[in-house]
Amino acid sequence: MGFVEKLVKKCRARSPWILLFDTGACNACDIEIAACLTPRYDVERFGVLARGSPRHADILVVTGPVTRQVRDRLIRIYEQMPEPKYVVAAGTCATSGGVYWGCYNTYPSLDSVIPVHAYVSGCPVKPEAILKAISILVEKIEKGEV
Amino acid sequence: MSFEISIGPQHPIHVEPLMLRLSVEGELIVDVDVDVSYIHRGIEKALEARPYIQGLYLVERICGICNAAHSLCYCLNVEQLLGKEAPPRAKYLRIVVEELSRIHSHLLWLGHYFHTLGFETLFMYFWRDRERIMDMLELITGNRVTTSYNTIGGVRRDLTPEAEQRLRRTLDYIEERMRYYEKVIDSEPTILARTQGVGILKPSDAVRLGVVGPHLRASGVKHDVRLDDPYSGHDEIPFNVITWDTCDCYARVKVRIREVYESVNMIRYALDHMPSGDYRLKIPPFFKAPPGESLSRVEAPRGELVHYSISDGGDRPYRYKVRTPTLANLLSVVEMLRSRDGYEVYIADVPAILGGIDPCICCSARVMVTDEARRRRTIMTLEDIIKISRERGAKRR
Amino acid sequence: MGEEDILRKITEKFGESVLEARVLGRRRISILVPPDAYKNVVKYVAQDLGLEFLSCLSGVDYGDSLEVVAHLGFSTQILIKTRVPKNNPVIDSITDILPAANLYEREAHDLLGIIFRGHPNLRRVFLPEDWPKGIYPLRKDYAPEHPKPLRGGEVG
Repeated sequence: MGFVEKLVKKCRARSPWILLFDTGACNACDIEIAACLTPRYDVERFGVLARGSPRHADILVVTGPVTRQVRDRLIRIYEQMPEPKYVVAAGTCATSGGVYWGCYNTYPSLDSVIPVHAYVSGCPVKPEAILKAISILVEKIEKGEV
Repeated sequence: MSFEISIGPQHPIHVEPLMLRLSVEGELIVDVDVDVSYIHRGIEKALEARPYIQGLYLVERICGICNAAHSLCYCLNVEQLLGKEAPPRAKYLRIVVEELSRIHSHLLWLGHYFHTLGFETLFMYFWRDRERIMDMLELITGNRVTTSYNTIGGVRRDLTPEAEQRLRRTLDYIEERMRYYEKVIDSEPTILARTQGVGILKPSDAVRLGVVGPHLRASGVKHDVRLDDPYSGHDEIPFNVITWDTCDCYARVKVRIREVYESVNMIRYALDHMPSGDYRLKIPPFFKAPPGESLSRVEAPRGELVHYSISDGGDRPYRYKVRTPTLANLLSVVEMLRSRDGYEVYIADVPAILGGIDPCICCSARVMVTDEARRRRTIMTLEDIIKISRERGAKRR
Repeated sequence: MGEEDILRKITEKFGESVLEARVLGRRRISILVPPDAYKNVVKYVAQDLGLEFLSCLSGVDYGDSLEVVAHLGFSTQILIKTRVPKNNPVIDSITDILPAANLYEREAHDLLGIIFRGHPNLRRVFLPEDWPKGIYPLRKDYAPEHPKPLRGGEVG
């Protein structure tokens, strides 16, 4: 890798901006992820900022089982994110359907709708687990393994 | 010339998709339409296919913030079907966890509400203090959110004396902090300008529209399920029902702050008068409920929660119906956002009013403004709309 | 007003129309009325007895008939039930007496297929836009299944 490429990768890994999207979740995972932004867990020291628009974000963090109505909006948001983009499935519902397995309005898992790069389990996912997942993902981005 | 603004799903902090279509004339909102189909997961159908003990864990996950209320309502419902009642110690322990969950939910809402009004510092402060309550919940029940503390016949764990001591210290801390926040809110001119006189809902309209919870009490109507229909030993614990007469967003903030004081006092009373004995009845996990029907109501942090179930004698419910408090409060948003003679509502008031009902469903990021006359469309993000609302609020001062 | 008093007042006023009336427990009453008397009973309970608060409106599938249950009251809850045949599930809407019934009736229509005569806005409220018409998920003859995955291998 040339010097500029290495520099770009290093900078990208130092400030991953995330976009939170709820696809029909019960809100427990969302408030745990929001708790990461507050003073006790403080994810901003890793350079992570929660943005409001898909066009400003590097990582899409999705919670909840994907319901039929939300599916098109999720795909549209995923397509609006500029490359390189990564997706984290947070919570058991996004990873594998969770308690909603067998319900008529939810997809079996997130990776049956969009490609996923990291899975974090938990019902709800603990803030420490989200911090660890983001730091592992960021290391892999820097080394170029994702 | 009228515009149509549709506020669709996606939001930076408190995420839950909800679609609002506003018809606007100039700056005044004329009509509102609500679309809640993004969160529908088919839970009522799923409950008919699971035995009662599995249904408990599914019902808890209808809403993560009010999970203690949902699981309590389910347990009361099934216990009514079986004709049993939880032992006295279990009733008081249920009250302790229920009131802790009410405190955490109100602190969460207060932080989020002031964030939408533009007060980031208060958001960070409220959520930092909320972490102390989450620690207490984790100490008593084993998890921060979705605690699974209630079970059919009682509670799953007992309260140790060490946990009780730490709980009392945390309650003292929370009470002191809430007094400080109440002073800050009452002396800050921006907050008063954004919330006083905004989002008026008259008491007669509130009762006709089926509004529940702190939203109803902020319009002066004294109704609380813990008072009118006591369910878990609430008739033995003294408490005040907080109401406020001004019927606006400021009233909603005050009612919720004062309810935190009442919850703290209720927990202290329950700890001082905790009965001894069993905390759980011996009920086998898989059982057949006798045929019949039962209705249980609980005062969740957002309002009255109703569970209605019908049993045909099998080991799973024949029909299970859940009515959540936010569904009852949604119609009032339509009423409050409509401008009438003498009462004007601007686009800048939308976050304050919508946030005021404490929605357990959320707003959005993409707003599309359609100008029919000039045949032009612009797309605004939620950050733009929040910026507009903050600027207009500053101008109004 | 106690539960027995409320039951007595309703049976005195409506006599033959009340098919079934019983006390379910503390602060819980249930009555069953035919569809043509449903709206009048709701009006009487809401306006004359003062139980003006509509807490919920549920729908139940009983095989060959659909039942609508209206829950009224702040403290004592009264369940007013009525049954309509499944091949013609039409009942009067109570939104002009109790506007709170607006969203609840839309839900019963969407998930069970009950038609409310006189409702101002009877449209889809919970199911997605591309859900096929005529299929009502909460009816007993519907078997739930996952939507088909868009990508990836088989569902585990």
